[in-house]
Amino acid sequence: MNGSDANTEQDMLAHVLLPVANEEDALATATVLEPYQPEHVTALHVVEKGGGVPDKTPVEQSESLAEESFAAVREVFPDADDHTAYSRDIAEAIFEAADEVGASAIAYRSRGGNRLMQLLSGDISLTLVTDADRPVIALPRVDSDK
Amino acid sequence: MSDQELAKDLGPLAALTIGVGTMIGAGIFVLPGDAVTTAGSLAVAAFVVGGAIALLTALSASELGTAMPKSGGAYFYVNHALGPLFGSVAGWANWLGLAFASAFYMVGFGEYIQLIVGISGAVSLGPISLDVATLIAVVGGAFFVGVNYVGAKETGALQNVIVIILVAILAVFTFVGGLQADISNLPANEGYGPMLTATGFIFVSYLGFVQITSVAEEIKEPGKNLPRAVIGSVVLVTAIYALVLFVMSASLEPGFIAGIGGNQIAVVEVADVLLGPIGAVAMLFGGLLATASSANASILASSRINFAMGRDEIITPSLNEIHPRFSTPYKSIAITGGLILAFILAGDLVGGNAILTLSGAASFLHLVIYGLLNISLVVMRTADPEEYQPDFRVPLYPFTPILGAITSFALIAYIEPGVRLFGTAIIGASILWYVFYARTRTTKQGILSEYILSRSDTMPDAAVTAAESVRPDGGQHRVMVPLANPEHEENLVTLAAAVAKHHNGVVDAVHIVTVPDQTSLEYASDHIEEHEEDYHAILDDARQHAERLGVGINTRTIVSHRGFEEIFDAARTHEADTVVMGWGPDSHGSPGRAESALDELATSLPADFLVVRDRGFNPDRILIPTRGGPGSAYAASIASFIQDEYGSEITLLHVADSVAEGEEFLEEWAAERGLSAVTLKVESGDVREEIVRAAEDASLLIVGASERGLLVRLVRGSPAQQIVDDVDCSVILAEQQQNRSIVERLLGR
Repeated sequence: MNGSDANTEQDMLAHVLLPVANEEDALATATVLEPYQPEHVTALHVVEKGGGVPDKTPVEQSESLAEESFAAVREVFPDADDHTAYSRDIAEAIFEAADEVGASAIAYRSRGGNRLMQLLSGDISLTLVTDADRPVIALPRVDSDK
Repeated sequence: MSDQELAKDLGPLAALTIGVGTMIGAGIFVLPGDAVTTAGSLAVAAFVVGGAIALLTALSASELGTAMPKSGGAYFYVNHALGPLFGSVAGWANWLGLAFASAFYMVGFGEYIQLIVGISGAVSLGPISLDVATLIAVVGGAFFVGVNYVGAKETGALQNVIVIILVAILAVFTFVGGLQADISNLPANEGYGPMLTATGFIFVSYLGFVQITSVAEEIKEPGKNLPRAVIGSVVLVTAIYALVLFVMSASLEPGFIAGIGGNQIAVVEVADVLLGPIGAVAMLFGGLLATASSANASILASSRINFAMGRDEIITPSLNEIHPRFSTPYKSIAITGGLILAFILAGDLVGGNAILTLSGAASFLHLVIYGLLNISLVVMRTADPEEYQPDFRVPLYPFTPILGAITSFALIAYIEPGVRLFGTAIIGASILWYVFYARTRTTKQGILSEYILSRSDTMPDAAVTAAESVRPDGGQHRVMVPLANPEHEENLVTLAAAVAKHHNGVVDAVHIVTVPDQTSLEYASDHIEEHEEDYHAILDDARQHAERLGVGINTRTIVSHRGFEEIFDAARTHEADTVVMGWGPDSHGSPGRAESALDELATSLPADFLVVRDRGFNPDRILIPTRGGPGSAYAASIASFIQDEYGSEITLLHVADSVAEGEEFLEEWAAERGLSAVTLKVESGDVREEIVRAAEDASLLIVGASERGLLVRLVRGSPAQQIVDDVDCSVILAEQQQNRSIVERLLGR
């Protein structure tokens, strides 16, 4: 801690929960978060469960996706913790994880797309910002790959 | 609760409905008419015999499923037990079998819609004419593929409801019909031959129970629930089919079914008579639900089989890439979807009864898998590897699986000859696929050939020879060493041999002779000695060194205009796994004129690269700087290969702000990589200076590439290059191929 006077900002960035979907998304999200220098980061991957019906992807593949995402986050934040959640409802799982790890804020990067795309892919931006019980940081969508 | 338990969320009912929902598809709604016409009063028996054959295989599938709850189901067990040759057959048969089955479900779906809408006939599209049912089937098929492509999880929840509605509709039908049944209404007994023919074409109604095993890792308490779901679904479905068939043939006057026209569907007509219009509507509705749920489940199941095949490299793993937005294996689903639509169209264009052609092909392929599945069980029990601990055991072993295998294969004889020929061609093609594609890629050897080869003395020679000749050779690790300067040859070959030895691989020594652009390559290769006197001496030396180190070596001379770029080409064309190359003022000339080409090359490496700055190779004291990440993990595994060979001392260096934290990190990191007997060194300060200082005590510095494109930066004179120049010891820069998963790279594999 460098004794900055921007106390509220410091508090908000004390422990950031960073939900990431895959390797590419994780790297891009972590890269845009990096300039704000969060004090501690926990990467979160939510394995989307069918909840009583088969999943979209085999468990083995989902778990390796989580590992890849965490590794990508650690390329930017080497000390980041990781957390894997299993849930049918991704937004709910993010809130639960934030409680569990005691996050000061949730930072996420919208994956863009038009309304149809958002509908089809189950975009959770709206749920995140409306239902969260702690600050939600919407990171800018800059394309990391030029 | 552990992560593994969290991932399991399928209860017994959910598991059961996967089986029932997949099986009760178009079969019972479309085929009873044909079954009764063919087998007469034995149509009931035809379904019961089909159920019995399915049950034998269901017992084997349950045992294998509880022993190996892995994604991929039937394909996985066959590949594991019988090896990748049969694995290729089972994988392709399973994948295409599901696509044929889905095509069949969709054509059934099309016929139902057609009946509801009341349009029939054919539509001409240019030179070809398609049945209306086919067009509806194509649209329906595209819809269900699309639903799976975007991965709408709502469809899954619907599946349970659909299955319950279906069972309810059929239960009401059999109950009401059963009240009016009269044995005297049964049509004539047509004999056992026609009965088996009917079993052959209705067997498509029993495809699906094995799909439960493909989601075994998601089932709660699989040891208990998996066998219950697999066996329970077969028994339940068989009972439903038998009752429906009995009602259909016994509750109405003889000849009613035979008199139903080609454009009508027998179950619907019978329901109309028994229950009135509402019965007919319910049956129409049921048929739609059933075909839709079966097709949906089959598309999902086929992506699981693709996943497992890709994992074993029987097909390219890139097929299993996950869509960044939809989180679905979209490529696999798209290709399966394409196959389904193609089969629907082909089924119509080929002529004849499209329904019977498609269902015949699906049954043929599944029967092959079921036969192999039963044989796999016998192999697993006989070889009895230590890790084989099923919770459920097949009763009456070995009688049950042997009978299961014989009956599955025997039923194939009752499938239509044309379809049989076609199915045999697919099996032949999948064997060729193994020989020409998968064999050089897959590394997994089956339990069967391990068993035979480990007892080669007591086994018949023919069996040993056969097992040897089909053994996969994808496991052979090839280490390529491009050699240019005789001075460094020995050290490079030594390092390459250490890597090859660790992987039981071979060294490929390549001598690249660079000739000026003006000289044609053809001329140059005939007159190599003009460009380089004594050009084979370097390879002869390499051969001697490798042989002394006890590693197999191949040597080759390549004449090229481009020294540096040629290394990449050679690595790609000769399928090198690792490239060990020298780098320095006197190696391979400078990469040249085509900077952009180099960019592309170095950002997508064709193999793992070890770039050696040779200042007298001395493996005694190795230094590895690390800050975590995949690059240094790879460096660490290279160091441990060298340590195995030369008993080197390894020092790990971590530059951190806090020494205590750094030590903790380093201890953990070393333990995760399985590095023992290492010295841990934590310094704080400037990373580069600390590395250079620590390297003063080292004889060899191994630096892992932390980011992509290390080679490019090396060549262009980046900070990495400066470290290489600043230290006095030899340096190895290690960069791993990026198309591996990051996890593999993290483990340094």
